[in-house]
Amino acid sequence: MRLRIEQKFGFGLMALILITIAVFTPWATLNNGHIGIIMLSLIVVAMMMGFPSAFTLTGMGVAFSWVAYHSVAPDLAVQQTLDLAVQRTYGVMTSDVLIAVPLFLFMGYLVERANLIKKLFHAIHIAMARVPGSLAVATLITCAIFATATGIVGAVVTLMGLLALPAMMRAGYDTRLSAGVIAAGGTLGILIPPSIMLIVYSATAGESVVRMYAGALFPGLLLAGLYVVYVVVMAKLKPHWAPPLSEEERRVPIPHYLTPIMARHGKLALPALLRALFTGRGEMSRCALFKYLLTAILPLLVFVIILGLAWNTLTRPKEIYDTSGLVEMGFESTTRMALDVDTASGLQEPPMVEEFEAGGLQEPPMESLQEPTLMEPLQAPAESGAQAPPGAAPLAEPPATAAAVANASGEQAAARLPVPDSFWITTAVSAVALTALYLMLNFTRLEVFRMLLTSFFPLAVMILGVLGTIVFGLATPTEAAAIGALGGFILAAFYLAIERPEAERRRWWPTWIVLWTIFLSSIVWFILYQAHITTQPVPKALGTASMLAMMIWLVLATWQVRLIPILREAVFLTAKTSAMVCWLFVGSSIYSAAFSLLGGQAMVEAWVLSMDMTTLQFLILSQLIIFFLGWPLEWTEIIVIFMPIFVPLLAHFNVDPLFFGLLVALNLQTSFLSPPMAPSAFYLKGVAPPNVSLAQIFLGSMPFLGLVIVSMVMLYIWPQIGLWLPTVLYK
Amino acid sequence: MHTLLMAVDRLSSFVGRLFAWSIVLLTLLISWEVFSRYVLNHPHAWALDAQIQLYGVLFMMAGAYTLAHQAHVRGDVLYGGFSQRVQASIDLVLYLIFFIPSVFALTWAGWTYAMESLAIRESTFSADPLPLYPFKFVIPIAGFFLLAQGVVEILRCVLCLREGHWPGRLKDVEEIDIAVLKARVGKNDVSDDVSGETQS
Repeated sequence: MRLRIEQKFGFGLMALILITIAVFTPWATLNNGHIGIIMLSLIVVAMMMGFPSAFTLTGMGVAFSWVAYHSVAPDLAVQQTLDLAVQRTYGVMTSDVLIAVPLFLFMGYLVERANLIKKLFHAIHIAMARVPGSLAVATLITCAIFATATGIVGAVVTLMGLLALPAMMRAGYDTRLSAGVIAAGGTLGILIPPSIMLIVYSATAGESVVRMYAGALFPGLLLAGLYVVYVVVMAKLKPHWAPPLSEEERRVPIPHYLTPIMARHGKLALPALLRALFTGRGEMSRCALFKYLLTAILPLLVFVIILGLAWNTLTRPKEIYDTSGLVEMGFESTTRMALDVDTASGLQEPPMVEEFEAGGLQEPPMESLQEPTLMEPLQAPAESGAQAPPGAAPLAEPPATAAAVANASGEQAAARLPVPDSFWITTAVSAVALTALYLMLNFTRLEVFRMLLTSFFPLAVMILGVLGTIVFGLATPTEAAAIGALGGFILAAFYLAIERPEAERRRWWPTWIVLWTIFLSSIVWFILYQAHITTQPVPKALGTASMLAMMIWLVLATWQVRLIPILREAVFLTAKTSAMVCWLFVGSSIYSAAFSLLGGQAMVEAWVLSMDMTTLQFLILSQLIIFFLGWPLEWTEIIVIFMPIFVPLLAHFNVDPLFFGLLVALNLQTSFLSPPMAPSAFYLKGVAPPNVSLAQIFLGSMPFLGLVIVSMVMLYIWPQIGLWLPTVLYK
Repeated sequence: MHTLLMAVDRLSSFVGRLFAWSIVLLTLLISWEVFSRYVLNHPHAWALDAQIQLYGVLFMMAGAYTLAHQAHVRGDVLYGGFSQRVQASIDLVLYLIFFIPSVFALTWAGWTYAMESLAIRESTFSADPLPLYPFKFVIPIAGFFLLAQGVVEILRCVLCLREGHWPGRLKDVEEIDIAVLKARVGKNDVSDDVSGETQS
């Protein structure tokens, strides 16, 4: 069935292209431009023959560039062709954009093999239990997060097909809805950044990866949100499609030792745990109690740290470099003193001389430990200005005012800035929210929170960390990808460690804790330094020790948790997939060079311009072409071959390549879902129970296909969805 | 014949896998450099060039390995539905007209390119230069392995045409190995895990 439809379609398309070439080519007056167009049409035919696309492209590229060179200078043609081929290859080998591809792939394979999807699904499912269509919503969210972290569509769809599909069928969910949710959800991985597809687009279109990532964030979340809303609405409208879970299935398993505590100290988690700490914990071990307490106060801790850092940033004195009349050292320390006084007293006025003197006496500032001599230069300017015996009292006397005035101008700017009202409002609102949270935090919710903490949060933190550093310009995509890969490795090590026997783990913990403490100490120091809480950069010795500790831990953990098999697999898969993507680039860059050498690009441009389209018409036409190409071809091929043709046209229609890229990224979601070639549907069919037919999967994906188109229309109507973040961040 | 095919497969896989480990080096190198630059404020001028070279070596040398395990993306619409003999004849023709000439050209050109670089002992343009010519030799070397693997693939097509089915290949780790994934979803039940926690 499937083969026949597909083959008919494929042969039809091939015949159509060949006939078009035969009929429309002006064979009598054939010029290079025409050959270019023929080359473009032939590539689609050749790709459908099933030969590895990278070499189809290289082969055609080399052949046609020879044709192009030959028409100009027959003697030099061979040499020029060889030069072109090798230079294009070398260009891909030294691409500083594509270098992020293997790193992200490596991160994805490590995370995928860390084996946390089951926990993730279970935790999200329990957390979502009250939402209509909870299983389907949980599936979507799991898919979206896991696919975002790994970027591997096939593996996510397959795993969820094994995990969520049987669960949904058991719960009496509609087959089509269940299948569609998995196929569509897994595909989100190539859209939501950090994704490989956006890097590949950036590399072909010459757009910055950073801008693409910032731009794709909200469209990706929009699409995921549309999916969730659709599922919830359908579950409300047609309850028989997604029946609510029974009480039994919603029950959260609570460890037995918590029952007496709940009975004695009440259901509210935090007070009960605190009381249990002092008045008897029953059969609960001290260790478990501390674990629970730590989990319970975690939100509070995070709240305090974030607010503290925000306060520090908001009120940080503007740095001034005007040192008029002040000794360098003295200025440094007065600034610091003023700062400290302000911290202590909350004063917002420029502090008086006495005050900073007082501050110097009562404060044990960090510098006084490391540089005890700092106190002297502080007094030096005052002394010289006052011509009076040094001491605390004379400083306040009138003669000192000259110096004080000089200082004041510096201090005014150096003092803590007034805290903006919005900060207090935010604090108050968050405090209320936090109180509400703790009033609602019973043991059931705490248990759910604990589940999320070990499955959802590590992934979320990793994704947000990688994405955040890229989008806010703290690190290049390559650096973030490498750190992400390291993070994937650490994640895998920890998840494997949990699976090892308890006794073994107990033997490791002391070493692990020591090594991690050494490593984290310099990270914490660095953060404090960045937040201007300490002026001392991380000492070299500590930094080196941290690096060594991390290295030792990596080696040790690899050996202890038996990480080698997983690492091997991830390494080999990374190599194969990177070779696939990058060799495709080698092929396509030779091919597109030949295409423009022949003048095909100019021909296409002239032809498109002659049609005199409006921007909207052009966008619709190009997206339709990409949509149809998505039937027989994969996204990699579509991007590397056709983007070099579309992107130069964008300038004529005043379309931002970033905006176009976002439309393409959304559009390519359909290439995974639309029959006849729908990889997601086939992956799912591969693991679905026999009574789920391919037709049901296709039908189930249809509404989601529709939602992709809705999201594209929304992006067109409100381009700010995609363009707002990049414009705000990188003006 | 089969021994020859397998021997070349093994060679390609060995080379590809050997250089595949450079992803680990790459990850460690960049992480280390990030730490050194941001936390210790001590950047290294050669780190960026080294990164690029590791990445280039990684994917170039994996080309033949990827071909040996059929992991290069291919249009599967029609191909998947053909009989094995038809597949083999299409592949045979296209290997001869697309693959061999272009990869041969690339290897040849890469050789002269690298020899020129060697002649002037070319190095990277930075404060701490790294030699560049070994990196350029990667093109002809990767091309050579790719050619060898291509010849083997052609032999496979011939064998398939004669015997009516594809000769065997080496096993390798797959992105989606359903048996493995099933095992992974099956074991490590969440409820086990909760009880495991209670002991602590």
